[in-house]
Amino acid sequence: MRDILAFFSAPSLWPQLTLGSGILCCLAAGMARGLEAATSRVLGTAALIVALWMLLFTKLGAAGPLVTLDSLGLAWQILFYAGSLPVFLSLEADDEVPAALLLGAGLGMGLMAAGGSLLMLFVGLELASLPSYLLVAKLRSPSAPPFEAAVKYFFAGALASCLFALGMALHYAASGSLALSSAPGPMGQAGLALMGAAALFKLGAVPFHFWLPDVYESCAPALAGFLSTSVKSAAVFLLMRLASIGMGSAMAASLPWIGAVTALYGALLALRQERLQRLLAYSSVSHAGIIVLGVGAWAAQGCDRAAAAPIFFYGLVYLFMSNGAFFFVKASGLTKRGEVGGYARMCPVPAALFATLLLSLAGIPPSGGFLAKLFIFWEAVKAGLYLPVAGAALAALIGLGYYLGLIRDMYFDEPVWRRPSWEPGAVRWVLWACATAAAALGVLPWVFSSVLERIFS
Amino acid sequence: MLTALWLVPAVGGILCLFAKGRTARYTSAAFAAAVLAYSVWLSVPYGAARGAWGIVEAGPSWIFGIRYHLAVDGLALSLVWLTALLTVVCVALSWRQDFSAGYWSSFMFLEAALMGVFLSRDLFVFYVFWEAVLIPMFFIIGLWGSDGRRHAAMKFFLFTFFGSLFMLVGLLALVTIHHATAGVWTWDMADLAGANPGGRMGLAVFISLVIGFGVKIPLFPLHTWLPDAHTEAPAAGSVMLAGVLLKMGIYGFLRVLIPVFPKLVWDLLPWLGGLACLNIIYGSLCAMQQKDLKRLIAYSSVAHLGFCLLGVLSWTPEGLAGGSLQMLNHGITTGALFMMVGFLYERTHCRGLSDFGELTGRAPWMTFFFGWAVMASVGLPGLNGFVGEFMSLAGMARAIPLMAFVAATGIVLSAAYSLPAYQTVFWASSGAGSASPKVSDLDAREKVLVWVLCGLMLYIGLCPTPLLTVLAPSVAAIVPYGFAP
Repeated sequence: MRDILAFFSAPSLWPQLTLGSGILCCLAAGMARGLEAATSRVLGTAALIVALWMLLFTKLGAAGPLVTLDSLGLAWQILFYAGSLPVFLSLEADDEVPAALLLGAGLGMGLMAAGGSLLMLFVGLELASLPSYLLVAKLRSPSAPPFEAAVKYFFAGALASCLFALGMALHYAASGSLALSSAPGPMGQAGLALMGAAALFKLGAVPFHFWLPDVYESCAPALAGFLSTSVKSAAVFLLMRLASIGMGSAMAASLPWIGAVTALYGALLALRQERLQRLLAYSSVSHAGIIVLGVGAWAAQGCDRAAAAPIFFYGLVYLFMSNGAFFFVKASGLTKRGEVGGYARMCPVPAALFATLLLSLAGIPPSGGFLAKLFIFWEAVKAGLYLPVAGAALAALIGLGYYLGLIRDMYFDEPVWRRPSWEPGAVRWVLWACATAAAALGVLPWVFSSVLERIFS
Repeated sequence: MLTALWLVPAVGGILCLFAKGRTARYTSAAFAAAVLAYSVWLSVPYGAARGAWGIVEAGPSWIFGIRYHLAVDGLALSLVWLTALLTVVCVALSWRQDFSAGYWSSFMFLEAALMGVFLSRDLFVFYVFWEAVLIPMFFIIGLWGSDGRRHAAMKFFLFTFFGSLFMLVGLLALVTIHHATAGVWTWDMADLAGANPGGRMGLAVFISLVIGFGVKIPLFPLHTWLPDAHTEAPAAGSVMLAGVLLKMGIYGFLRVLIPVFPKLVWDLLPWLGGLACLNIIYGSLCAMQQKDLKRLIAYSSVAHLGFCLLGVLSWTPEGLAGGSLQMLNHGITTGALFMMVGFLYERTHCRGLSDFGELTGRAPWMTFFFGWAVMASVGLPGLNGFVGEFMSLAGMARAIPLMAFVAATGIVLSAAYSLPAYQTVFWASSGAGSASPKVSDLDAREKVLVWVLCGLMLYIGLCPTPLLTVLAPSVAAIVPYGFAP
């Protein structure tokens, strides 16, 4: 009993407890019919903001056998919670279930961040995944067939969970513990490889990417933004934990190559996409590849916590870029690439914001996307991974083909349709905020770097 | 103090975006004129400083040795003048066109980014500005260009970005290698100078940087973006492209490749010089075959930039000074040529050589000034092109005489493509359906613009010493790296 009390009173878990209370509040608010319609939206947003604010006071260190919060876990919680924020603004006002599910996913990721053992990582992963499957089923784009994507996502996710559980079992068999430490022998290596495969599955890295485009295409754009930022950062976090367990293992050594191949593959396939959401899905595969390259470079240099800053920075910039791009899709109502033509003539301001995001996604300086890519490439060069870097640079060049192609169509073509729609309200502010942040992180990164130093030192 | 050179146009660009109607054009004119005045005034403190690095402005170190560090020496200052001058010319040149606010602001942003490239002493800052140049130019070509603009803009961006990626990875590797040997993280050009990374790694870095800079020059096999971009861009866009953007590549050679890799540049001189000679011969031969006036001038730029590179590579004081001077000369001369083709195009919407003829009577002033600029481009003694080409060749004749001989044929070739084109457009009899009747002579505004540029051609041609004095300290700073005779 005392252990349980100690567990819950540890300051390192306050943000997670806030999210848990947020879930209860949302559900309660849904049951009390008399309340105002937007309550669950406000409650959910508030819970996330309070959780983010609490990160300022959380203490690093161990609390019980299962919970250990280090600077990495602290930093990544920023990505988890901040990446979940925009999607709340797009929820239907009178439905409390998605809000509760989103908070549940955030709670799972938060627990994973504070996980001090493989078991906790697994529980957090599952807790984050199950709500995601339901969310994909619930918030889907109007044209998508019901449940197909959710079922696909579920089976792919279940397979990843199986791999992780199996890997964990092998790890336990080899080392006799589920602590975050290396396991000896070929069995330990195999366990690590299986767990790494599970993380790459969640991340959508080649060759485990096949479920991703279908899922991202079929769900609501705002949810795709959430999946591509929050959920992916959780997978990145998992991968980093595993890489630091298995420094020097075959799994860690293969990461740069997997990253480069993923970046290239995603970029090449995105080039051929006609539907915007699918294009952005493949582009997110490509970006995930560059992050995996960064993780590989980080692992090759000894998994120093302070050296994780480039990966974090990439996640942060991508959070704004991806959410912004998906919100543009939502707000503009554009679905196909062909409809983009001449958009800038009709809606100059949204078009300029989208163009800013695209330039940042493409990695053109001065933008946050450029600095993020630069830091990752630099780490990889420091680690002597020249060929993977060349592959990733080639992927960036290919990526320019579709990012710049969209800008070209928006600006240089004659308008192809009669009246553009533009959804007003909160969505507009998300787009403004994301575009501004994506540009500002490139121009004034030192503002951010001082914050980063405080976190990582 | 130097920050103002890029910050002022950038602010002007933002203001233009929010300006309504004609205000945007006045705003851009005011800002461009202010920058020009300021850059000319800079020669006063620069002259007072008397050092190789006249004015320096360095911020605190950021991360990994990256530092906001600007400085001007003679070379940078002269290119700053060129940029400021040509921006004013571009704004004045498009004055009558009914372009939207974005056009004027694009030129302001372009000026800001170019200033940044020429001023930065930190390779990271340099790269950021280098890339930032692409964005306004992309829109200038794509939005306000002629029929093939969509394709040309895309090709321009993709091609140059391809080079830039090589450059980026090369710079990262260079900085990392330097850190491994010297133990400090630095992106500063002065600290990296003389680093001389060797071995296969050093060679790989060198080649990727050559590709990065070579795309911009453009060096022979990497030049294919240039004719499309120059032809499809609006007149003012072509002026900036040929006048300033191409110089960035040579500038990269002078600032980065030669100081950082003196040994490799020297060892690979026959190869690099050979490429420069190919530029001259191949560019000239292509220019001879063109039926489109703008395309012809574009290919002639390929050839002229070959002379600049050859002079710079000769590594002798006269060659380096000549190559640097030739950059300015080419900016002025080709800028004037593209401007006048723009005048023709504005009146007739034709640019084909055979679309014109018998313009001498209809447009005597245009005939006169076009001939003037063509003579400067061909290298007639007394005009600026002669000085630059002569000094470049004289330098190369000391380093590798054979190469100077091969390159000298380029002067003959330049006459062989320029003069017939001039003759066809202005003097030959016009065929049926010729656009010549639509051509009217230059008006007062156009005359002033042409006078300014043609006057500069004559001034530099007759009296190059002041400019060479400005360039001399920078040249003297580069020569010691050399192994030259």
